[in-house]
Amino acid sequence: MDKLGNILHSLNFFYPEIALTLTFFILLLVDLFFRKSKHLLPVLSLIGYVITGYFSFTTPNASGFLFSTGMANVGLYITDSFAFYFKLIILLSLIYTVLFSILSKEINESTENRGEYYALLASFGLGMFLLTSSTDLITIYLAFEMVSLSSYILAGFTRKVPRSAEASLKYIIFGAVASGVMIYGISILYGLTGTTNIYLINFYLANQNYNTLTLVIAGLMIIGGFGFKISMAPFHFWTPDVYEGAPITITAVLSVASKAAGFAILIRFLKVAFVDYAATNLQASLWAILPGFQWNDILAVLSVLTMTLGNLAALWQNNLKRMLAYSSIAHAGYMLSGFVILDNQGILAILIYFAIYLFMNLGAFFIVMLISDKLGSEDIDDYTGLGYKAPFLTVSLTIFLVSLTGIPPTAGFIAKLYLFAALVNTGWLWLALVGVVNSVISLYYYMRVVKNMFLRESISTYEQKIELGHVLISFSLLIPTLVFGVYFKPLIELAEKSIRIFGF
Amino acid sequence: MIPLSFYLILSAAFFSIGVIGVLTRRNAIIVFMCIEMMLNAVNLSFIAFASFFGDSSGQVFVFFVMAVAAAEVAIGLAIIIALFRNKLTINIDEINILKW
Amino acid sequence: MFNNLAENFYMIEQYIPLILAILVALLFSLFLLKASSLFGPQKPNVEKLTTYESGMEPIRTARERFSVKFYIIAMLFIIFDIEVVFLYPWAVNLKILEDKLGFFIIAEMFVFILILLVGYIYLLKKGALKWD
Repeated sequence: MDKLGNILHSLNFFYPEIALTLTFFILLLVDLFFRKSKHLLPVLSLIGYVITGYFSFTTPNASGFLFSTGMANVGLYITDSFAFYFKLIILLSLIYTVLFSILSKEINESTENRGEYYALLASFGLGMFLLTSSTDLITIYLAFEMVSLSSYILAGFTRKVPRSAEASLKYIIFGAVASGVMIYGISILYGLTGTTNIYLINFYLANQNYNTLTLVIAGLMIIGGFGFKISMAPFHFWTPDVYEGAPITITAVLSVASKAAGFAILIRFLKVAFVDYAATNLQASLWAILPGFQWNDILAVLSVLTMTLGNLAALWQNNLKRMLAYSSIAHAGYMLSGFVILDNQGILAILIYFAIYLFMNLGAFFIVMLISDKLGSEDIDDYTGLGYKAPFLTVSLTIFLVSLTGIPPTAGFIAKLYLFAALVNTGWLWLALVGVVNSVISLYYYMRVVKNMFLRESISTYEQKIELGHVLISFSLLIPTLVFGVYFKPLIELAEKSIRIFGF
Repeated sequence: MIPLSFYLILSAAFFSIGVIGVLTRRNAIIVFMCIEMMLNAVNLSFIAFASFFGDSSGQVFVFFVMAVAAAEVAIGLAIIIALFRNKLTINIDEINILKW
Repeated sequence: MFNNLAENFYMIEQYIPLILAILVALLFSLFLLKASSLFGPQKPNVEKLTTYESGMEPIRTARERFSVKFYIIAMLFIIFDIEVVFLYPWAVNLKILEDKLGFFIIAEMFVFILILLVGYIYLLKKGALKWD
């Protein structure tokens, strides 16, 4: 195969990423030369994301490797419908984040660095785009670090605020250690198999003898690195601190987009590298894991730990942002339990869950942002009696929280239904039960907010003037949250089309 | 020729020292030095494997790890400076607004 | 992996001269350190025991905080310094790659340098290199 032809040919499928890169550079340079205008940067980044979206749709969605190394017929990068689905989620949450940022008081007050904010958001998005479809340990590591490095700065973006700078420092120390552990695992895996491409690693593991213990250690280290991104249990300690300290727009995008990217690469890595394809009929049955270690057992334990720890810690939080942080840990635990099954049904449940989680979680963060910008506080006690002073916002928040709990007729119910149904169908009854019990626990802390807002006398002199923008954005998040609760067929169909990972 | 396992043991030892340093040291800058040490331990094992296999992708990986480590430390220093301007300390024990 | 260790342990033999040399060097230097006080005459007085016999008295400690600006310059230096790492493999392989890929391989490096240039323009314009 002609190498040059291959690289240049690959570029035809690489337009979305190129568009994001250009968005990043344009934002960086525009900020240098036109500092005055206030709305130029967000508008430019929105245009950039829309163009990226356009290219994502128009790029021929054929599955295949990009940037082949020539020797073996595998590449550094891949396009398939699985990556496309996650890219859509990431892009949507980026667009919402930019919209939130236009309205956010926190971001608008720190005028001196606004350019970096939007530029870094674009590079953050680029990193996640790359992460969802990397197939080589080198590109995985680079994309992973690109996401991490941008998010470290974004978390500490309002650097005059002490808690923001502190969140940023904690984030980078945890993140650097996690990525150090991950890269050590990668080096062991490279030493074991002699290649960095995950498809070739699978080929090696399926056909050669290897030391199981070494593989398990390497695999656990790599999963730990990805687990840091999705805030999986033993690696979740950064989550509450960073979510509380970071500007709330960043908290929103961290809780959805970077988790989506983390899940995408976790699923891709485990499915491609450790599944025995010779023994599996991928369409029908459970995947057979390569002999030596049952990865789903350890994942089941981690999933239970994640959801339980998240929910229990959320019970006694007084800061709403921190509570939502713990709740997002719990949601990561639910989604991880879908992966434990190790078959297409579980992946389907995760994909559905993510699309719904995008709307409900972003919605909750958006309303909290609007209220706390006016109220100057995220303390749940300060929300007392707001229900009658700002009915629109509080009713919306209630709907999002109900959906996060998973009560019908909201979309959150459908997400949990598919997840637990998949678990029960495949014999993981105990895990489904743990999930249900956890959902019941989560009802308590979500409803505490609602109770505070509606069932108590007001103490604050709060007044909210609702602007058109607030209403429009809230509705754009509310409608999917409610509609997907009753009419979810298109979402399921889209997710069913997207479960195929290229290759086998 | 020195056997591969010697390099790996050295690399594992370096990595462990780095991890212990991160866990026990209280000065943020020294913590970052320890993180660098972890990454360099990884580099050592990559290089050892690459020369063992006679395969260049391990060496390429090292280049990227070095670049990423530099970026990480640059950002880390910037964050430490921002934090120092706020709190006038870089002792990790005193950085404690956010907790449970 | 680790049973290799025992198998290859005889390799240590090759290092015995090296280990001996290190030992001798260590002992000899320790001996020299002690030797001057062992054999030399010793008549200390107050003036002799000061740090610099004929220099100035130290006013305050030399371990001071220095300006944060050094860190910023150091940071920027690290970033641009490391990028050179990627030029070396490219330069070493340039001849071979150029035969195969032609002008493309040169254009690719220009793109890379252009990206760095954007970063450089950015920090110049931001005034990161101004000392005050």
